[in-house]
Parts: sequence; structure tokens; C-alpha cells
Amino acid sequence: MTDSLSLILATTFAPFGAFVLAILLLMRQPRVAQLIVIAGGALSLAGAVSLLANGPVDPLRYLWFVSGDIQLRFGFILDGLSLMFGVAVALITLCVMVYSLGYMGHDPDKTRYFAMLALFEWAMLSFVYAVDLLQSFIFWELVGLASFFLIGFWYEKPSATAAAKKAFLMTRVGDVGLFIGVLMVLQVAGHFDIPALLAVDNGLVQQAAPATLTAITLLIFVGIVGKSAQFPLHTWLPDAMEGPTPVSALLHSATMVAAGVYLMARLHPLFMGSETTLGIILIIASITTLLAATMAMVATDIKRVLAFSSISQLGFMLLGLAAGSLFAGVFHLITHALFKALLFLCSGLFIHHFETNEMEQIGRAGGRRLRFATAGLLVGGAALAGIPPLGGFFSKEEIFAALGHDGVTLFSVVALLAAFLTAYYTFRMIFLVTRPAQIETEETHAHAEHGRAEPWSMALPVALLVVGAAIAGFWGEQIAAGLGIDMGHHTLASMAPALAVVAVGVLLAWVDFGRQGAARTGFIARVPALERLFTNGWYVDAFYDAVIVRITTLVATLMHAIEVKFIDGNFDRLGRGVLGLGSGSTRIQNGWVQFYGGWAVILVGVAAVYFSMGG
Amino acid sequence: MELVIQYLFVGLVLIGGAMAALSRHVLYNIIGLGISLFGLACLFLQLGSPFVAAMQLLIYLGGITVAIVFAMMLSVAMTLDPLTRTPVKTGFAGVAVLIFGLGVYGLITSTTFATAPLAASEAWAVGRIGSALLEHYNLVFETLSVVLLLAIIGAILIARSEREGGESA
Amino acid sequence: MSLESLLLLSLVLFCLGLFAALSHRNLIAVLIGIELMMNAASLNLMAFNRFSVTDPTTGQVFVLIIIGLAAAEVAIFLSIILNLYRTHRTIDAEELTELHG
Repeated sequence: MTDSLSLILATTFAPFGAFVLAILLLMRQPRVAQLIVIAGGALSLAGAVSLLANGPVDPLRYLWFVSGDIQLRFGFILDGLSLMFGVAVALITLCVMVYSLGYMGHDPDKTRYFAMLALFEWAMLSFVYAVDLLQSFIFWELVGLASFFLIGFWYEKPSATAAAKKAFLMTRVGDVGLFIGVLMVLQVAGHFDIPALLAVDNGLVQQAAPATLTAITLLIFVGIVGKSAQFPLHTWLPDAMEGPTPVSALLHSATMVAAGVYLMARLHPLFMGSETTLGIILIIASITTLLAATMAMVATDIKRVLAFSSISQLGFMLLGLAAGSLFAGVFHLITHALFKALLFLCSGLFIHHFETNEMEQIGRAGGRRLRFATAGLLVGGAALAGIPPLGGFFSKEEIFAALGHDGVTLFSVVALLAAFLTAYYTFRMIFLVTRPAQIETEETHAHAEHGRAEPWSMALPVALLVVGAAIAGFWGEQIAAGLGIDMGHHTLASMAPALAVVAVGVLLAWVDFGRQGAARTGFIARVPALERLFTNGWYVDAFYDAVIVRITTLVATLMHAIEVKFIDGNFDRLGRGVLGLGSGSTRIQNGWVQFYGGWAVILVGVAAVYFSMGG
Repeated sequence: MELVIQYLFVGLVLIGGAMAALSRHVLYNIIGLGISLFGLACLFLQLGSPFVAAMQLLIYLGGITVAIVFAMMLSVAMTLDPLTRTPVKTGFAGVAVLIFGLGVYGLITSTTFATAPLAASEAWAVGRIGSALLEHYNLVFETLSVVLLLAIIGAILIARSEREGGESA
Repeated sequence: MSLESLLLLSLVLFCLGLFAALSHRNLIAVLIGIELMMNAASLNLMAFNRFSVTDPTTGQVFVLIIIGLAAAEVAIFLSIILNLYRTHRTIDAEELTELHG
């Protein structure tokens, strides 16, 4: 037991220690700070891997405080789900940290950056292993805080601070729902302990009335919508690309946004208890998947394509979970984490080299000459599109199977359409970067001829992730076993629709972008209205701006006016009144002695009157 | 007969006071003061003290009033055009005086004063005043003379300082 | 004459003197008002001396002292007026406002 305890403490608190050291002691020594943080990350990974190797154990619980008959605990849950995901998080975080050595090498603020990465890792790992729902919520919020700091890292850029604010506020909206749901859990069950809530015999599903359970799960889902950027709270994620690319790789593809999906996986039995909630989740996830995929089809910034892709894939995972298959959702969560992080880091290689995010510019400047980055892009893209034998294919297959469990439904059609669009936009991205209409051959020639264009610190993590993304598909059985689920078997026939859809998508992308003499505008360009719709994000952001932002600004202006004119104004008037009273009173002192004497006489007279009245 | 004379004296006092308070020209004020002081002296006489009446006439009418006339004449240049009273101040003064007057009037009417029988005529003798001044009230007498001395010296100093060209304190 | 009527007469005289002191602009008129007030006090004293005490010497001495002090005060007052006239060229009470707030 103590062995597990020390391991878990090392895993979760090593990054915290690194954060404290970096902030307090090492602001002036960036090199040492970076190494300390990376050491913390490595320690975390070692701890997570050891825990995984030890296998699942009973949860560790410690009493925090007691209030009446409510006991608040904190502790660690060490079952298959948390152990596996913990390793994934620690691994990707360490890769990103090493990558950041190279990517952020010239940034003057890199100590703050690494410190924030350490803070994030602490919060994320503590969230993954949390045993108490309140503890999860606390670290959920801390993860959002770290995200705020990291998105707005280059705070001198107004667009970055605006994006950080937007991210924080939108996830906050979701968090309100989550918090209310969590409180309702307390009201129904009297405690926050997750294993107890999920217990088959006397868990929350049995304790709560059906309507209450639906309400609770819906509220928790609202939090997931915010954190995992689902419709309608998805507009913050594309803007969050203002942060450095490694941050995008870590937070906004693999880990932080995945926290929402992880929460649903963690509380899966509760969600399964409410058909209504599952139906709503299916609808929202479907809308999100398709919406984001359409927006990815027309985006020109490589990071935005990947951001939309993340939103779409998260919807995909939620579809799998809501269809009833915990394994499908978690499998895709893990494979997606690996290949999406890979894709972001490769895009970072291109961005770092060509100093632009625009795919067409990268392509024209000779993108494919960066052979290492291109290779990574290909592997990651293939995994994303779902081409066998890479990871994405197997995990998506599970989701299709779960959705098609009771025959072909609307949602399985949606999933196939989404898979088609995914393949299309992925290969659009690849072709735009690697097969442009023409390459302007000036500077990049010199660069590429120097051999390796990127430092080892950036290449190593990419290589690691390439391997990971490639073989992750074969870990399906282990993951299922870890979750305690039987994987089941798939026939070739059941895989056929998915394969066909992917093939069509890749082909269409080739036709539009890949072959020589292609128009490179995409088939959507033939319907300009649709293209405009997709480019403007289906006007969701515009709607928010017109309605919510405007109303809030109006209310704020009104309040400000009240404050200035009324409240502040009254205080000013009070002050001025006193001053006026004072200056008015000084006019009595006009220097006429006879006035003064007269006043004295009046007073004496008044006293005389008083005394004559028998006072 | 005595009553008529009494009313005459009271009338002198009041008329003099009215002239002193209400006239516009300073000279009329001074003359009013003189008449009032004369009436008062007569009242003092009637109240049984001829010595005090004589002193009143001597010092007030003979000394103080004359001094005031002299001072007025020395500053005759700016009093030729009588300074008109400002209504505000006059009104304010009137109100103050009214309040005061009513108050004290109420006090007077509401208080019962102790009375004593009229003393014998020997008690009113001038010699008694003299011996009192030199015996019982000796300190007061001497102090008064010192005060008068200081007043003379002070008056001279104040009036002189400008002529020497030095700045007054 | 009764005590009360004498007291009332002295009150009237005092009020007249007070009015003169408070409302005139000429400083000499103010002095006259002050003198009237002092005389009203003397009259008061003489009235009490007549009607309310057994030994009338005290009242008379008191009045004599008052008269002497009034003389001294007038002397000082007049020299101040002369000084004021020299420095400020006026003896208008409304002009002499250096103590104003």
C-alpha cells in the first residue's frame, strides 16, 4: 500500500515541486529551470509507468475534513482507466517538455513557460487519479487555469490575451453546470466518493430518482461540453491556437480537452443509467463532429485545421461513449492523444522553420523538403484519417461497431460521414503542405541541404510519437483488459464501410489537391455559400458576439454609468457639498467685528431668555 | 413735583441715548452722549449720592466727552461725509439687541430682588466714601491709579509710534 | 422710583448703547455706544445700592472705579483710532477687515 502511495505521490507531485522551484528560485536561470521541470516530468512518467506495471489496486482515501455528516475526502483511484490514461498524459507531457526545449529555445520567458507546464501536469495528473468528485472538480478548474496562463503566454499580443480570456470564460460556463451537478450528487448520495457512486449495488444509479439522475448527468455533460469544446461551447478552441504550438499539442489536443471525455468515461455507469442524457449526448456529439469537420475543410491555418479536427474527434469519442461502449471511447481517446500530439508537434516543426502557419505558404516555400517533419505528418495524418494498420483505424472501428450495434442508425451514418470528412481534410492538409502547385526554391534549399533542419530536442519526441501513433492500434486488447471489458471480434464485412469511406475521402483530396495541375481549391468552393458558411464557423461566433457579447457590454456600460454618475457621483457631491458648506461658513467671518459682537449678544440674549423661562 | 422732575431726568437720559444711537452725524452722537450723561448724573443725585453725581459730571462730561470731541475734530477730514449705515448690519444689530433685550427683560421681571431699608443719611456721607477708598478699598484705588498711568503711557506710545517712522507692532 | 423701573431704564439705555456699538460705521460712534453701556451698568449699580444693600458705600465706590476705568479706556481707544487713521486712512469699521476668514 505504501508503495503505491509513494509512487502516486511522486507521480502527481513531482511536477508541482518543479513548478514551485521554477517560480520561486529559478526565474533568473532558465536553463536550470527547464531541466528541473523536465526532470519532474520524467519522474512523473516513471511513477506512472511503475503504477501501471503494478496493476490496479484499491483506491487510497484520506479524510480531509468533516462537516456535519458530510465527509470530504481526497485520495487516488488506481484502476485500469486512470493508470492507462495517466501514463498517456505523462508520456505526452514529457515529449512536449523536451520538444519545448527546442521550440521555445529563443524565448526570453521560457522559465515561466516551463513552470506553467509543470503546473499543468500536476493539475492534470491529480485530476486523472482523483478518487473524490470534489477533488476532481478542483483539479478540473486548476487545469483550466493552467490553460489560461499558457494560451495567453505571449501576453503582449492582444489576440493572445483575448483568446485566453475567451477560453477561460467559455469553459467556466460549462463548469457552472458541472458544479451544480456535483452538488446535486452530494445532495442525493451524501458523499463524493467515485467508486462508491459507481458501485453496482448501491451506487448513485440506485439511489437517485431517474429524473434526478438525468439532471445530474446532463449538468455534468454541460461541463464536458465546455471543457472538451463541443457545440455550442466550441469556439474557444480555434482561438486557443494563439498559444505556443507545444501548448496546443499538449493541452488542446491530447490532455486538457480530453479531460472532459475522461470524466465521462470515469462516470460512465452513471451516464448509462439515463437514456435521455445519452440521447442528448449523441445529438450534440454528432452536431459537433460534423460541424468541426466542415470547418476544418476550409481552414488555411494548419493549427486551426488541427484544432477543428480535435473538436471533431472529441465528438467522435463522445459518440462512442454514448453509444454504450466505454472501450471504444477510451481506446480512441488514447490513440487520438498520441497521433494528435504528433500532428501538432510536426506542424510546429514546419511553423518553426518557415515562420508561418499558413499551409499554402509552407507548401510554396518547400514544405516537403523537411523530410522528417513530412514523415511525421504522414504517419499522424494517416492515423487521424483512419488508415489501417495505424492506431486511428482500430479505435474508430470500435466506435462504428458501437454505433451500429443495433443496426444502421442515424448516428452511424453521421459517424461515417464524419470519417469521410476527416480523411478529406487530413489529406487536404498533407497535400497542401507537400504537393503545392509550385515551389519557390530560394532559402529553404539552403536550409534543407544542411541535413537536419530541426534540433534533436524537437526531433526526438516526434520520433517517439510516430512510433506510438503507429503501434497504438495494437494495444486494443490490453486496453480493453485494463478496463475489464471483453473486446469482441470484428469481421471484415463490418470494417468495410469505414474503409470505403476513408478511401473515398483520400481520393477526393487527391483529386482536389494532390495531383499535378489540380485546382487546389476543394470541391466546396463550387458552392460559395457553403464555403462561406464553413469559413465563418457556421456563424456561431458571430452569433455569440452579436448577442451575448453585446448584451454583456451593454449591461457593463450601464453599470459603469451608474457607478460613475450615481454612486461615485454622489460621493463626489457629498465631498463638494461639505467643501461648499465650509466655504459658505467662512463667509460669516467677514472681518466685521460688529458682526461677531452681534452674535455674542444674540447668544447671551438666548441664554437670558432660557434662564428667564425658569431653565 | 418730584415726579415731574424724575420724568425729566429719565427723559433726558432716554433722549440723549436715542440721539447717540440713531443719529447719522458723529457730532450729534457725541451731543446725545453728553445729554444722556447729564441726565444720569441727575439720577445719581436723586438716588442719594451727590459725590458720584459730581464725579460723573466732572469726568465723563468734562473729560471724556471733550476728549471724544477733540478726537472727532482731529479726524474731521473723513467724517465730513457721514458714513451711512449698511442696512444689513443695522438690521442684524437690531435683531441682536431685540433678542438680548427681551431676554434680559424676562430675567428682570422674573426675578425677585432682595430689598433692604434705606440707610441713614450718615451712611451716605462723602467722608465715608473717602475712608472706604483709603482703607477698605485701598488696593483697588491704587490699582486704578496704576491703570490710569499705564493708559496714559500707552496712549502716548500708540499715538507716537508712527511719527518716528518705525512700524507699529 | 422703584427698583424695577430703574433696572428697566438701565436695560433700555444698555440696548441703545449696544445698538450704537453694533450698527455704526464710524469708530467714534462705536466708542459712544460703549460708553453708554458702561453708564447703564453704573445706573444699575446705583439702583441696587439704593434699594438692596444696607451699607451704601460699596456701590458708590464701585461706580467711581467704573468711571475711572472708563476714562482710561477712552484714552486708549482714541489713540488707537488715531493710529488706525494714520495706517489705514480710514476709521470705517467695515473697511477694517484684516481678520476676515
